[in-house]
Amino acid sequence: MRTGHFVENHGKQIALSDSEVVWSWTAVLLILCLLLPFVASGFVLTLAITIGISAIGAIGLNLLTGVTGLISLGQAGFLAAGCYTTALLITDYRWPPELALLAAGVVSGLLSLIIGVPSLRLKGIYLAITTLAFSFIVTHFLLYAEPLTHGPYGVRIQNLRFLGLNLAAPPQMYYLVLAILFLACLAFLNLMRSKVGRAFFAIRDHDIAARAMGIDLTQYKLSAFFAASFLVGIAGGLMAFQFRFVNVDLFNILLSIEALAMIIVGGLGSLSGALLGAVFIVLLPEFARTVTNLLPTHLSAAFSTHIYDVRGLLTGLAIIMTLRFEPLGLIGVWRRVSRYWLHWPLST
Amino acid sequence: MDLFLNLLASGLISGSIYGLIAIGFAVIFRTTGVLNFAQGEVMMLVAYVSWSLATALSLPFWLLLIVTVFAATLIGAILERLFIRPMLGQPTFAIIMVTIGLAIVLRSLTVLIWGTDAEPFDTIIKGGLLTVGPVVMYSEQFAAIVLFVIAIAAVTIFYRFSRVGVAMRAMAEDETTALLMGVNVKRMSMLAWSIAATVSGLAGVTLAMISSRSSDMWVLGLRAFPGAILGGLDSVVGAGFGGILIGVIGDLSEGYIGHGLKEISGFAVVILVLMIRPYGLFGQRELERV
Repeated sequence: MRTGHFVENHGKQIALSDSEVVWSWTAVLLILCLLLPFVASGFVLTLAITIGISAIGAIGLNLLTGVTGLISLGQAGFLAAGCYTTALLITDYRWPPELALLAAGVVSGLLSLIIGVPSLRLKGIYLAITTLAFSFIVTHFLLYAEPLTHGPYGVRIQNLRFLGLNLAAPPQMYYLVLAILFLACLAFLNLMRSKVGRAFFAIRDHDIAARAMGIDLTQYKLSAFFAASFLVGIAGGLMAFQFRFVNVDLFNILLSIEALAMIIVGGLGSLSGALLGAVFIVLLPEFARTVTNLLPTHLSAAFSTHIYDVRGLLTGLAIIMTLRFEPLGLIGVWRRVSRYWLHWPLST
Repeated sequence: MDLFLNLLASGLISGSIYGLIAIGFAVIFRTTGVLNFAQGEVMMLVAYVSWSLATALSLPFWLLLIVTVFAATLIGAILERLFIRPMLGQPTFAIIMVTIGLAIVLRSLTVLIWGTDAEPFDTIIKGGLLTVGPVVMYSEQFAAIVLFVIAIAAVTIFYRFSRVGVAMRAMAEDETTALLMGVNVKRMSMLAWSIAATVSGLAGVTLAMISSRSSDMWVLGLRAFPGAILGGLDSVVGAGFGGILIGVIGDLSEGYIGHGLKEISGFAVVILVLMIRPYGLFGQRELERV
């Protein structure tokens, strides 16, 4: 019987994971993800793409809010910045999509520095409101700067090829998203085991104490903002690839709240939490649709005309329920269950 | 000059609505340290309930007003009891997230119950014209300004002279000490939610009379944030006047600079202000001890 988990040397301490079980299950999961397009229908694949893109954005937000403790309600603004950068560079400036996607991350990251500077003096709700204000200003700019952004007409991308992939075909888009998600996960895990990651955690727990330990708040808070928004910008660029028609209406406040819901429901500050949260929040309306289809016809018809509101209702309830009953999120449930399992029959 | 005066007047009108919502933010923030992101939604809910009462019962206006105040108090108290009270003792971050969740729940519920269609809110005070020099406004628009003045006066008197108001100020100062001095912290929190719901709910009713009772009224709650921040969240009267300021800035920038700035100028102003004075124009600087 296993008696406990012991880290015995430095190599184990800094390894991505020192557990062979975790390694092998990750490999199984990865293989299953790679095999998905061979068995899944187009609809399932589209959902999987949405989950992947949301997960990349959620990892970014988790880095900022979950790990560094800087609350952001401006996710929609950063996504919009990335999405429009990619779309406009491809259509109006004939950039290759590969570069345009990278530019989405860079532009979004640079914009975040503008918000990052006041954030050095702001905390908690004041920062939340600044980021909220930022996202309103971005969408307003996109809507009114018509010569640059096509304003209310939106941007349509045609003939999209990325590294030889035809992104109009769901399987190829899926593999691209999966690859980028994989890289994002690796980057996140790597960051967490480095000095920078530990500095982020220290800032979250108490920034003044962190400063007293010799952590340069300016540098680390700004790099958290940049890294997080870079990821979110990439997610935005991928949204442009997925929809191929970009419009300001996509980036409303519900999107920012859903992003927060993902990391709260999943579990703040952990990679698996962000992934689980993304799966949960994207599948929630689908689940609701399945349930309402079982209801009597007039009820299900009423629900389907208000699907947007049902979605909002469920997201809100998910946030409230998680915070009230399981503040650690889904990942907390998972950890409790696995601990119970490992320690059985001695578990409490 | 006429243009300026007219813009100023319409700025004062929308500013009064912002100001009333901002008072709601500040009352809750001062007492419990929580920023209620659902204030705009609470306002909308009260307006909808009041509209339903008005259409169903066809009450005289003064009675409708009393019933609305009663309903708003009840709504505030119920929301606090159901969603905020169980979170007592949790970190502020978690409680704020709950109010964000509550915001979208209320927003969706309102649409699910009442539908998406906008309806006019007709009362006896609606429709009159008021002419002051070059400025012409409807009587219900003037009512918004009157309501703001009454609310500011009432809140000031309440905090300065009433026993409960003093207890609330004590709670803002230090919750634990207030508790030790015999202040019923739970009841104060509920009362703060009720007061906030009433003040912003009346703003919602006025807003519904000015334009219509519609399912996007909650946006006003977001636009009132800059006002509350500008005036300082820990000063109720300051937050109210911050709202007025944001309304006036919004209409002036819309009139003189460019279309669409009405919705956005407040946010631009608040980012600038927070860069220079992180605790708002009239807010007190917090000293942090490690």
